[in-house]
Amino acid sequence: MMNSILRNKSKLLIILFWILIWEILSLIIAQEIYLPSPHAAFSALMNLLISKDTYITIYYSTYRTLAGFFLSCVTGIFLGIMSGIHKPMYNLLNPLIIIIRTIPVMSIIIIAIMWFRDTNVPIFVAFLMCFPIIWTNTVSGIRSTDIKLLQMCEVYKIKKSRVISSVYLYSSLPYIKAGMISALGIGWKVTSAAEVLSLPKYSIGRFLYDSKVYLEIPDLFAWTIIIVSLSFLFETLLKTIFKYGDKYD
Amino acid sequence: MIKLIDISKKYDDLILLKDFNIDFEKNKITCLFGPSGVGKTTIANIVAGIVPIDKGCVGGIDNSLFSYVFQEPRLLKWYNVYENIDFVLKDVYKPDERVEIINSYLNMVELSEYKNYKVDALSGGMAQRVSLARAFAYPSHILIMDEPFKGLDNKLKNEMSSLFLKMWNSSKRTVIFITHDVEEAIDLSHIIFTLKNRPVNIINRITVSNIVNDKEEIKNLLLSH
Repeated sequence: MMNSILRNKSKLLIILFWILIWEILSLIIAQEIYLPSPHAAFSALMNLLISKDTYITIYYSTYRTLAGFFLSCVTGIFLGIMSGIHKPMYNLLNPLIIIIRTIPVMSIIIIAIMWFRDTNVPIFVAFLMCFPIIWTNTVSGIRSTDIKLLQMCEVYKIKKSRVISSVYLYSSLPYIKAGMISALGIGWKVTSAAEVLSLPKYSIGRFLYDSKVYLEIPDLFAWTIIIVSLSFLFETLLKTIFKYGDKYD
Repeated sequence: MIKLIDISKKYDDLILLKDFNIDFEKNKITCLFGPSGVGKTTIANIVAGIVPIDKGCVGGIDNSLFSYVFQEPRLLKWYNVYENIDFVLKDVYKPDERVEIINSYLNMVELSEYKNYKVDALSGGMAQRVSLARAFAYPSHILIMDEPFKGLDNKLKNEMSSLFLKMWNSSKRTVIFITHDVEEAIDLSHIIFTLKNRPVNIINRITVSNIVNDKEEIKNLLLSH
């Protein structure tokens, strides 16, 4: 108890330290358009938090991020398991994954704008950015499966479908979980990026874009703080779900 | 009877078996005795069909089911004791039959109280008892035991040996038992093959009787091996 209070106290001090550095820098620069002061950013944040529109915006952006994330989880885990087990499937998909990994996010966003309605662009982009991470981790997880357990299954003539659900899947769970956590973080980043270019009606990205157009830099900082907080919140939520799952499994 | 006829097997440049012949009598416990690395496990795995052969044929195993007690328990650590046995029985028995079978075998290995325990929470000896219960609960015709008591202390080893004999007596099957422990070989087997060399040769085929003097003689024979 005491320890955790101390730890939280030192965490708080560290945060205060960096806010102080930010304050000093903003005083030195002394131009809000380049670097607003923490005070300006937080009062902009407060103004946002009392507006109803902010919550609608957060709701839609969260929906897009999570939709892209879930799509990538479902396809990434499914195709990852298939590719981990069947080498030809891996060979078929691997070049595609490498290409998706190397294409600049901006190219994908722009092509997605040509293909989809504005609100679906960020979902597609988040999906495409998260999918390779989940896929790669799932493949590594499947390949880490203990060959001795698979041999045991072979001797006892266990059906392939049950080997997948009871052996492969459980063995790769730690890898899949790690992949999901990093994919979720990336999901938030690319969703906002895609929103800035596709400009759906209610989206954090649209507000980021507006704050650039109208030079409302404190707003830009405030929205950024919101994105970071949301990302942190959902990561914690996901980790808690995993922890809970481990405990009561 | 299981017959291995003119089997050849090599791993890269290592010739382990060359025109090798051996038989295993039905519902008898046959021991493969010999130094580590001689190819005992390979012979057993060829019988079980999990190691492909380069040449030769294996007779007498058509439609046979196998169970296996490995050196290490090879249990699924995300399942509990009961689920681990259930896992191998699911494709073979109906649910209510499974409950009965699993409970009776858990009872036999004295692990009924631990049936809801995760595998991680078990000691090495307990985990190996689960593996033994799994092997007997499965309706196999042929049971392979690859140094199943290795790494257990003497007391546990003796417990496991008598447990094994008890289970085998109540549900007889063809057993291929691999060991390089003299006492184990004599106490548990009906027939002992002593193996040596590379490619492997059968040096002796010993039939174990219950006469004490005879056992001493076999012991000396195995020790000189």
